[in-house]
Amino acid sequence: MSSTLGSTSSAASRVPVEERLFSLVLALLATESGLTKNEILSTVQGYRQKFRAGGDNANLERQFERDKDDIRDLGVPLETIDSPGDAGNNQTLRYRIPRGAYELPSDISFSPDETTLLNLAAMVWREGSLSGESRRALLKLRSLGVTADEPVLGYAPRVRLRDAAFEPLSAALEKHLIVRFPYLKPGEDHAREREVIPLALVQYQGRWHLSAEEVVPGARTDSAGEGARKTYLLRRIVGPVEPGKSAPARPGDHAAAALAGLDEVWERGVAEVEVACDSDAATRLGNRRGTERLTPESGESQTRLQLHYVDLEILADELAGFGPEVLVVSPPELREAVVTRLERTVRDHG
Amino acid sequence: MADRAQPLQARDKLAFLLSLVPWLMDHDGAKVSEAAEHFGMTPQQIREAVELIAVSGVPGETDAYQHGDLFDINWDAFEERDEIVITNLVAIDDSPRFSAREAAALIAGLQYLSALPENADRGAIASLMSKLSRGASAAPSQVGVEGAVPSPIDAVAPDPLAPTLALIRESVERGVQLELDYQNSQGQRERRRVDPLRIESIDTDWYLRGWCHLREAVRTFRLDRISNAIITEQPIEHRATDSDVRLPDVLFEPSPDDLEVTIEVVPSAMPLLTDYIPDGATTVEHDGRIRTTLRVSHYHGLKRLIASMPGVATVVAPPSARAAVEEWAREGAARYR
Repeated sequence: MSSTLGSTSSAASRVPVEERLFSLVLALLATESGLTKNEILSTVQGYRQKFRAGGDNANLERQFERDKDDIRDLGVPLETIDSPGDAGNNQTLRYRIPRGAYELPSDISFSPDETTLLNLAAMVWREGSLSGESRRALLKLRSLGVTADEPVLGYAPRVRLRDAAFEPLSAALEKHLIVRFPYLKPGEDHAREREVIPLALVQYQGRWHLSAEEVVPGARTDSAGEGARKTYLLRRIVGPVEPGKSAPARPGDHAAAALAGLDEVWERGVAEVEVACDSDAATRLGNRRGTERLTPESGESQTRLQLHYVDLEILADELAGFGPEVLVVSPPELREAVVTRLERTVRDHG
Repeated sequence: MADRAQPLQARDKLAFLLSLVPWLMDHDGAKVSEAAEHFGMTPQQIREAVELIAVSGVPGETDAYQHGDLFDINWDAFEERDEIVITNLVAIDDSPRFSAREAAALIAGLQYLSALPENADRGAIASLMSKLSRGASAAPSQVGVEGAVPSPIDAVAPDPLAPTLALIRESVERGVQLELDYQNSQGQRERRRVDPLRIESIDTDWYLRGWCHLREAVRTFRLDRISNAIITEQPIEHRATDSDVRLPDVLFEPSPDDLEVTIEVVPSAMPLLTDYIPDGATTVEHDGRIRTTLRVSHYHGLKRLIASMPGVATVVAPPSARAAVEEWAREGAARYR
């Protein structure tokens, strides 16, 4: 092991973060047998300047832990190898990046057409963490050298990511952690704490939902007796999402299952409303997917529509916004929910 | 693309360095400007990255980062002609895989757009998604988005907006004007002639951005308020690239004629109102509610917005705005008595 070079802290501060991370990736890609933590800290650019041979390197070790997380977040497969006969010993644990797991498989390529589509798909995410993820995905795509057929000028699609619960839930999904959060069900006065195994985050009709499995108190979470699968609306998560212990594996395409489930709920949910002809309500509700016109528009001032919905409370909010343009005919719970809302608004503004 | 370049975080910079090296290997002697164009960066960002790569490497057998352990470039070509020639390569042979979340973001974006007319070939989309999965370092995270492009061939129910979208798409492609009836939120309908510039969406809502010949300005049209649209043979007169045409990134642009109202809102509902809250608006927390300012173009929009958030948002001032909301809700409730 060579001695440290340029070990003053002022020299160390001149190595930018990306140079340290880049040097770490290069060093770990170049090694077959792996490097111990001590070897990394004492030799790799950005660490070696701060390394004290035989001294206390606690800060540097913490830095290395954070850097490992950052690198793994980028999809770089940083793996550890136990020394034979010395398993579990941190000092002899070796780190490396296996080339085969790091490199994009050589049979994967993207055509100019596909590149155009991927550019458009990335454009969908313009807020929240997914915008950073798609930006980095596009950099890697560009690395392959393909250029898009045509610049995508005709479209500017966007999916919103504004629920505060999205980021912590998405992190928990990624790390396979159980989460707890306070959930306010409509009609209930107080939020109730839920503990669940997150399965998927899906956006359906403009709203983000968490599909999750309830943790049954006292039950072994790895047992076959699984808790009920439920769907939670992110906007009803009214407090912080707390990550907990590791969640048991739940293989399957949960996102597709959750979307299919919501589609079924949507198909079953049927409401009948009367709308004033030529009103905004008639136009907007009439142009919605699945809406059926029950009475012909023939000089009448009102027309009857049949709508599909997933969540009665959300539909009630929406219909209340149309004020006198909408009269709910059925179901009675929806009628009740809309009247209650309108009366509340009157009271709040009287 | 260079004008869209943004300052990068350390993670972005690392992703960029790992992506740039294989591209440079395949594009020996590329100009700085070509690389900038290709990666959507500024030439300065490319130069800084190349300078960093050129002094990076592995500790090597001596642990001392000796000459052969470092990347090297032809410095003369770089400094005199802005050309990038790598003369020594270290450690990297190929492009990196996507992370699980990167692949998931692109897959979910593709799902959202799956019904675009351009994506008529569903098999091609499926194969693209599976390539992204295989190209990720771990199984893509479970994020899904409902396909939200109005489609005539939806299995559950065809979307009534599909014909309008197809028409607009065709007019954008051919660069010809559209004629359409547009109904505002008060139910008034007007025939408009529009140079279509861009199709935009937010979640499930679709919009046409275009130059309105009636208003002589760029206007945003909700697709579900458009009817009787026809394509004309008249070429468009204004283009997205014209200097007097500006397509802003936000859908709702503040105007000097906007009305300001004071509202109180529960904190969890603030994200629903961000579009209407002007930059720099003061927000005060009071009794668990946030008091802030909204900008609206007229009370017709405001009363609908507030009535759709009962108990969640309340107008505090001015009195005329409170009265507009109260009257709207009272007329609505009266229909049930």
